[in-house]
Amino acid sequence: MVESILSYGLAMGAVYALMAVTYNVMFSTSRVFSFTAGALGMLGGVFGALFIGRLGLPSGVGFLLTLGCCALIGVVTEFVAVRPVLKSLDQHLYVLSTLALTLMIQQFTAIEWSTVPQPFPRVLPFDLFVRERFWMPVLACAVVVGGMEFLYRHSMVGRAFLAIAEDNFAARALGLPERGLRIGSYALAGMIGGLAGFTSGGILLAFFANVPTLNFYGFVPVALGGIGNNRGAVVAGLALGLFQQAANYLVGGVFASVAIFSVFIVALLAAPQGLFGAAPARRV
Amino acid sequence: MTISRRRVLAGSAAVLATPMLASRAQAAEPIRFGWLTALTGANSAPGIGFNRGVQYAAEKINAAGGIRGRKIEVVTRDTQGDPAKAVNAAVEMASSLKVHATFGPTNSGESLATTPILARFKVPSLQVVQLDSLIDPVKYPNAFRFAPNNTQWDDANRHYILDILKAKKVAVLGDNTGYGTTATAASVAGFKKAGADVVYTAVVDANAQDVTPNLLRAREAGAEAIAVWSDSTGLDARLMNTRGRLGWKVPFSGHPSMGSGDVRRLLEKPEYWDEVYLIGYRSCSYDKSGRLPARTEAFIKEVHGKVKLSDTVLYWVLSAVDAVHLVAEAVDKTGSSDEEAIIGYWNKLSGWPGLYGDYTFTTERHNGYPTSEVVMSLANSERDGAFTLAPGYR
Repeated sequence: MVESILSYGLAMGAVYALMAVTYNVMFSTSRVFSFTAGALGMLGGVFGALFIGRLGLPSGVGFLLTLGCCALIGVVTEFVAVRPVLKSLDQHLYVLSTLALTLMIQQFTAIEWSTVPQPFPRVLPFDLFVRERFWMPVLACAVVVGGMEFLYRHSMVGRAFLAIAEDNFAARALGLPERGLRIGSYALAGMIGGLAGFTSGGILLAFFANVPTLNFYGFVPVALGGIGNNRGAVVAGLALGLFQQAANYLVGGVFASVAIFSVFIVALLAAPQGLFGAAPARRV
Repeated sequence: MTISRRRVLAGSAAVLATPMLASRAQAAEPIRFGWLTALTGANSAPGIGFNRGVQYAAEKINAAGGIRGRKIEVVTRDTQGDPAKAVNAAVEMASSLKVHATFGPTNSGESLATTPILARFKVPSLQVVQLDSLIDPVKYPNAFRFAPNNTQWDDANRHYILDILKAKKVAVLGDNTGYGTTATAASVAGFKKAGADVVYTAVVDANAQDVTPNLLRAREAGAEAIAVWSDSTGLDARLMNTRGRLGWKVPFSGHPSMGSGDVRRLLEKPEYWDEVYLIGYRSCSYDKSGRLPARTEAFIKEVHGKVKLSDTVLYWVLSAVDAVHLVAEAVDKTGSSDEEAIIGYWNKLSGWPGLYGDYTFTTERHNGYPTSEVVMSLANSERDGAFTLAPGYR
């Protein structure tokens, strides 16, 4: 039981953390919570199964093509669902536009790919102590979080992202290419979401209906970890995965979801800004 | 006006000719067969299979001259699995297209929406969906089901688990969809009524990634067989893979989706599909020697090269052929396509020999499919849309 809780719990927790980072990266340059995050995760699994499983491409090529396609979908999201509503952020029209694009992607995938789950092929011919379906999401999560830390703290591009996130107008006044950086961040988010779906394909399978699961459970670490806080998202994501799997064993079935959302609500009541988020400064 | 002999003769001729012309007009009017199903979209696989049977049967009847000189005109509307579109199509068929009978829709959500509408217009309707409440001769005297309902499925599955597999302790698992929840509750009630010991029951998320806890609980409770009620092939495969990894030789018995080719693709090992039994039909089941019933074999021989069966489910095609013939024969035998004539004819059918089964209807009973025709099949035995009869049947 403990082995199963740890293996499934950590793997799914890493996937939720990656989805949370996807939300955060898109949010950082646009102040938009794009609900295409779940669609990007779903497409990571579908593209991986398509390129490697159906078309028979080598795993490395399939992996790179998957990331490339998901990056492209990320850019399309910025053009189609985000840019048109940026001028009226206070009306929260992005909720509608990003959800609409997500539904379109989901339905298109159902029709063109399959309405039932499809197998995700083995990526590597060997396992590292545990099966690849369990260690790959955890490794991907570690690489992404390490990479994001490096990007934000040790590169000009990352600092530019942070500058835009901090004050969009001031960053533009300083001459930062805000539009280009925003497109870049959506491409990056696409790759991270695709990576989450690709590495969890062995667990979630290549299935169009994975979108709501990834969207909802991916958003929980964002809220718990503090909006825009990738470190918090990782801690909250892993905790969520472990708690979900433990609840699955302890209370079972659909009650596991009830347990998760009960804890989620209690946590947010205790710390509305998220467990790792700073309380927002109030202008006076 | 003067009455001349010529005028009298002309008038007489006109009076005599009128009924003949009317009769010819009646003879030329096609029998409009309303066909509602999802032919595109996410849930279109059954509709595509049924459609092959509808088109084949109509073309065959028309090629032979039709019914009393009247052609069958199949009026198709693609509902795309959307109840709203199905309602629009049903209203159009009943009010403006004036179809003489309908077949479909072929899923529960759409049928729930269209059945009251077709009843209001008194359109003779043929149904194949399993939902028990769809057939009610008092509320919907126009609606006839020539396929098993959920209760008949449940009866067949319970009979197999208790009487043939001889299991005393049973676990019941279903998914958390509306269908799965209802079917699980009904199945548990049925087992308890039959005196069986239901040692574990669970409603599982259809997309649950790990079902190990559920199977461990069932094993600890001492389950000797598991009834599975889910049409999610992903959940089916996860249950089978987990059972295989646990090395637990407990039989699964239940929903037909467990025999889908999609399940096979998701299995980690082919042997994980052993000892899985699904609901099937005698008319579509191979016997021990690998042969189908004579009526079905004759049909397959007849349609060889004309109707593709390798990528669909055989009973979808067979029942659709029967639907067209049920309407055609009602018009043929009564000489009328009026709704009273068709409904009245169906109400008197007793053991009508269809391809899918022998149907019996009365004014009080509109569930026409015989329970004895519902049997269990081996999940891993699919060939041309049909399955091998599960062990234990004569």
